[in-house]
Amino acid sequence: MKDAPLYLRPRVDPPLASLLGDAPFLHSLVDALGSPLNVLLPEVVAENAERFRSVYRRHHLAGRVYFAHKANRSSALVRRLAACDPAAVGIDVASLEELRHALSCGFTGDRVMATGPKDAEFLWLAARTGATVNADSVAELDQLAAIVRQYALPRTDVLVRLSGFESDPEPGGTGTRVLSRRSRFGTPVAEADRLWTALERHAASVQLVGLAYHLDTTGLEEKSRALERCVLLMDECRARGFAPRAVDIGGGFGVGYVQDAGEWERWTTALSEAVLGTRPPLTWRGHGYGLRNEAGTVRGAAALYPAHRPTAGPGYLDALLSGPAPVLGRSPATLLLEHLHDLYVEPGRALVDQCGLSLARVLEVRPLGDGADRYLVRLGMNAGDVSLEEHGVLVDPVLLPREGREPADGGPGDGREPADDGPVGVHLVGNLCLEADLITRRLVFLPRTPRPGDLLAFVNTAGYVMDFHAHHAQRQPSARTVAVTEEDGARRWCPDENYWPLTHPQGASA
Amino acid sequence: MRYDSITEAIGNTPLVRIDPSVHGLRHIDLYAKLEMLNPFGSVKDRPAWHMARPHLQDAAGGDGTVVELSSGNTAKALALLAGMHGLKFKSVTNRMRVPEIKELLLLLGAEIEELPGQSECLDPTDTDDPLTRFHQALSEPGSTYLHTDQYFNPRNVEAHAAGTGPEIVKDLDGRAPDWFVACVGTAGSSTGVARVLREHDPDVRVLGLVADKSDFIPGIRTIDEVHQVGLFDPATYDSLAPVTSQQAIDGMITLIRRCGLLSGPTGGAAYEGAVRHLSAVDAELEGTGRRESAVFIVCDRAESYLSYVRQRRPELLGKARRGHRASSLTGDEIRAAARVAGVDDARRWIAEGEPRPLVVDLRGPHAYAALHIEGSVNIVDELFEELVRGGLPFSKRTPVLLACPVGEKSLRYAALLSRMGHPDVRSLAGGIVAWRDAGAPLVRE
Repeated sequence: MKDAPLYLRPRVDPPLASLLGDAPFLHSLVDALGSPLNVLLPEVVAENAERFRSVYRRHHLAGRVYFAHKANRSSALVRRLAACDPAAVGIDVASLEELRHALSCGFTGDRVMATGPKDAEFLWLAARTGATVNADSVAELDQLAAIVRQYALPRTDVLVRLSGFESDPEPGGTGTRVLSRRSRFGTPVAEADRLWTALERHAASVQLVGLAYHLDTTGLEEKSRALERCVLLMDECRARGFAPRAVDIGGGFGVGYVQDAGEWERWTTALSEAVLGTRPPLTWRGHGYGLRNEAGTVRGAAALYPAHRPTAGPGYLDALLSGPAPVLGRSPATLLLEHLHDLYVEPGRALVDQCGLSLARVLEVRPLGDGADRYLVRLGMNAGDVSLEEHGVLVDPVLLPREGREPADGGPGDGREPADDGPVGVHLVGNLCLEADLITRRLVFLPRTPRPGDLLAFVNTAGYVMDFHAHHAQRQPSARTVAVTEEDGARRWCPDENYWPLTHPQGASA
Repeated sequence: MRYDSITEAIGNTPLVRIDPSVHGLRHIDLYAKLEMLNPFGSVKDRPAWHMARPHLQDAAGGDGTVVELSSGNTAKALALLAGMHGLKFKSVTNRMRVPEIKELLLLLGAEIEELPGQSECLDPTDTDDPLTRFHQALSEPGSTYLHTDQYFNPRNVEAHAAGTGPEIVKDLDGRAPDWFVACVGTAGSSTGVARVLREHDPDVRVLGLVADKSDFIPGIRTIDEVHQVGLFDPATYDSLAPVTSQQAIDGMITLIRRCGLLSGPTGGAAYEGAVRHLSAVDAELEGTGRRESAVFIVCDRAESYLSYVRQRRPELLGKARRGHRASSLTGDEIRAAARVAGVDDARRWIAEGEPRPLVVDLRGPHAYAALHIEGSVNIVDELFEELVRGGLPFSKRTPVLLACPVGEKSLRYAALLSRMGHPDVRSLAGGIVAWRDAGAPLVRE
């Protein structure tokens, strides 16, 4: 008996669902522009920013939502965000080129936050254009201050990024110690005194506007501890004569990729069973995603993004702000508000949730011949084009059959095409001459066997999965990106670089 | 009964028959093994003592630390045992999900470390789980950690094979029950008891209960989590069935309110799982003239799980409270009754009022200390709510200006106090934020 197909069907909200429903449109785009192809809906990013803002409003908090640019290289998304309320939406850039891109897309310097590893050119342009520098260390503050002095730049707003909250002897004492992963970024809280001294030393060149942290965790408790600690440290800063206003809590609000909790639970349970050998493998060559079988017991942790998340994005921010804080007892939102602090957040993935998809043409469908009715499906893309595997994201693509080739039509067959119309398990392989080029190591179930010429749509790839790892190996084409807008029921598209947030960019105004 | 040490009181717990009118099974006698009556309060007293004893005898009085991965009863028992032997105890846990138990462990002198949450920005090459670091720390040279290792230690199973199992057989007049129902946590009790019962009668059937995957029941693992338990062997169980936290609370309430058994949710899950499963068996026994017996374990007591119940079934913990409450006012009532003062008016009132108003700042004490309106008093909103519940906390002859961060809460309270008869209470419009934004002075302590 065949197992029931272990689907992990994607969560698709209305704007993206409507686009997916228009298969002829998507086919015509790939016919013209080639496979792979990235499709973006810039309007959705503005709606997402508004959802984050509504959480701010609910808690009466002021401050900006900064888009973490690194999640996607698109110009359309950045330009659309530049058109949002300047007091509400900013951008977080992590390289010189991202900063240049943000400025060219319409962001003024005062809406830009410079984060990540920084070189002198990056610091100079940030300071020159009035961006806020999120300083990683005392050395970086020294370097920034030296540049500001040497080139007579305006006094630059800085946040300082803190880390190492775990080993911090907390005032008030909460009894328990919450462990955190070690981070390469930020200055340990225990060394905060050196930061204050550096800020005092460079008072003529830099001005402290707030404290920042970013923790790489889904755990609310670790984050609320860090947030509360920052509120306490803000007070220490004020006592030393600084006038900081903002607490920057970074990003990491998450996205739910898989619609149905039950599918995700069934699949993860099946993974444990497959690792134990009590059911056939769910993956190419029995890969365990980090789980291993030691004498009949499962050891290790699955290196998988929690693909079904009931609370993600703005909802996660709301939960973080509403929960209890360990020392002072009041919720983080209340603490920020009562202390008159602004809140900065830097969502990446969560801000581009439902903003786009990646399309690939099916090039070849080959039976695996191992008796299990499985197929190798080769796509016109490689693992760099949709880096699902690289980010541990497991979610099914949506099959978009070529028009006129629906099985019901008895479309043209070349005699090798499978006749079975039921659900089928396929391994999705890429266009590189490389064993490891698998779009996903997971055995993917599709509602019917795909045929050459069909499209597979990988939904919700705009956050990190679209172009973060794209490359030119083997001179394979990298994906073009288009922006799709809808007006009065008509769908229009243009190359990403030609998009501007205007109603009728071609001048065809009514 | 006289003992030299409390550890001698571990075990020999009663087996109590559940009244058939409660469970409704007509052909099955259902017994509860009351492990909650162990001296430290749970079934875990047995394995904790059995696993720790060899370590404790060697290390007593030294500078060792007993460590265990536990957020509940095992930690409780080990903390007490370590304390008795002059040792420290450290509990490493994913999440302390029941706040009372966390506080209880701190009271017992335990040190608690909570492991980090899952990475948000995933590195697929990093497949070490957070426990890797824990195990490395245990095996470092010079480590003084005494790891009891409850998920893999065979002494966990032995404690039940030597104690719990034989006690059940003895109390059933030398016969094994037909059914044994156990919640699967470390798999220690189910594995140990099942082994003994099957030695007496190979036909004993064992039902293992696991927590529903998206749910949380203290002391019970989900089907995925049991696969990570070294002591877990699927062959121990004739079947595994899931229970939900709602069923656990249902069972707990039945045991408490109808059987006089002060069981926690784990025992409730075992009872509820047993009755649900055995109902079908009971129907098959109809007309055969046979009688069967079944035993389940009441793991621990109810008192530590009030917040667990409050989260899931608040209606079980009492009715709404009486008295004056700002939260019961409607928007219209607030608009009709509340008076406000803008920042400029408020400043004039404070400076020149006859008499001057009492300024009450409703924010938290830390925020108040950091910056506040000079001369104001701090009554944090939670406390203020308690005060006004009983009546007006100020004289009607004293005018009052209420301030909160944005003027929302203060407006509510201004309306409430007016409705309670205060003639001159006003809310600072826009709150302390507006005050700051208008450039009005704020002072620090």
